[in-house]
Amino acid sequence: MLSQIQRLSQETEGRYATDEELRFLTDYARSFELRVQTYQKLQSHEVMIVQQVQAKMKSIDPMLFRQGSEDLTHKWKRDTLRVLRYSAAAMLIDDPESMRERFLFWFQTIMRAFNAQKTCGVTYTVMQDVIKQVLTPSEANLVLPILEVNRRMLGTV
Amino acid sequence: MTIALSHQTSTKLKNPKKHNHYGFKDFYQFDPDSGTIVDWNNSQNILTSEDFIIGLIEGLEEEVGDASAATMYTIGCEWGQKDAFFFEKWFEKEYDRSMRQTNLMFLLETWWWSFTAQGWGRWEVDLGDRKQGFMFINVFDSAVARTLGDVGKPVCYLYAGLFAGFFTELVKKQLSCIEIQCYSMGETYCKFLLGGQERIDAASFWLNEGATARDIEKRLRSGELQ
Repeated sequence: MLSQIQRLSQETEGRYATDEELRFLTDYARSFELRVQTYQKLQSHEVMIVQQVQAKMKSIDPMLFRQGSEDLTHKWKRDTLRVLRYSAAAMLIDDPESMRERFLFWFQTIMRAFNAQKTCGVTYTVMQDVIKQVLTPSEANLVLPILEVNRRMLGTV
Repeated sequence: MTIALSHQTSTKLKNPKKHNHYGFKDFYQFDPDSGTIVDWNNSQNILTSEDFIIGLIEGLEEEVGDASAATMYTIGCEWGQKDAFFFEKWFEKEYDRSMRQTNLMFLLETWWWSFTAQGWGRWEVDLGDRKQGFMFINVFDSAVARTLGDVGKPVCYLYAGLFAGFFTELVKKQLSCIEIQCYSMGETYCKFLLGGQERIDAASFWLNEGATARDIEKRLRSGELQ
């Protein structure tokens, strides 16, 4: 959204925007209430979402939270909360592009540095399942594409 | 007169410990009054065009001829050595921990992120052969190679020097570096070999004999020059 507004103001310099160019604003206005509602729901259910993701992952493979003798649960929780919050904000302002530029490109290299791609892949796959249960289908539709980008960027080698 | 530069954007003032500060607006502070561009680590930056890079390289070639490659490499080395000290300071301040007690890949990614934000390109480090005493670094979108285009020979001597200088300081052992594959040779990315002088000399010899980066990788991995 913010990236789109910026682009719009650059592209329409000295002229009026066409209806087509303004469509994203109408779409955003229409989805605004749903976005706020979804954002607030993510906020109030944050702890529960992360707990459920963690429990499901443990049942899939408890070793996902270990690296040698080190227990990574605390680090994983901190990182997952951070990604979830960035995702919620990106959904609210409909700006996954900024999230990629300001956060994901950097975080991808950090996750790779720690060889955490496998855990990330499972995290954001499982998180999509959990979100489908916590949110209504129309709310989930706003969040799932962002989580899928997270999975692709952070979870692939 | 020394002017102390300090990055004071609202993002940094509000959240000085933020680590993902490499987005354009977070990383740079533009001050039109003083004409300065200060990055997150309080280092002064200048914007240059591709014409500047061409001017720098061709001007140097005109001045010193064939020695220009070695000159660029030496400039890179000094830059890398100085940057290692600069990096150590800001890393330890930002992460509250010693460089020596940090996961190596994380440390290296953190070092290179400032360069990525400044337009030097993305990189990929392959530490797989570290125990054998050498390693490979791939650079995508090298500013120098991208500017010069396909000229049929390696051109990123500045980068090779930068890696040699930085890693020499990091591991406290004299290392050299050579570009064994370059975007300016028509390849899709640049590849550097970092290691002791003997290995780099051998790679340089093989390269002159027509070996490809892959040939060199194979020869080193098969244990030649152990």
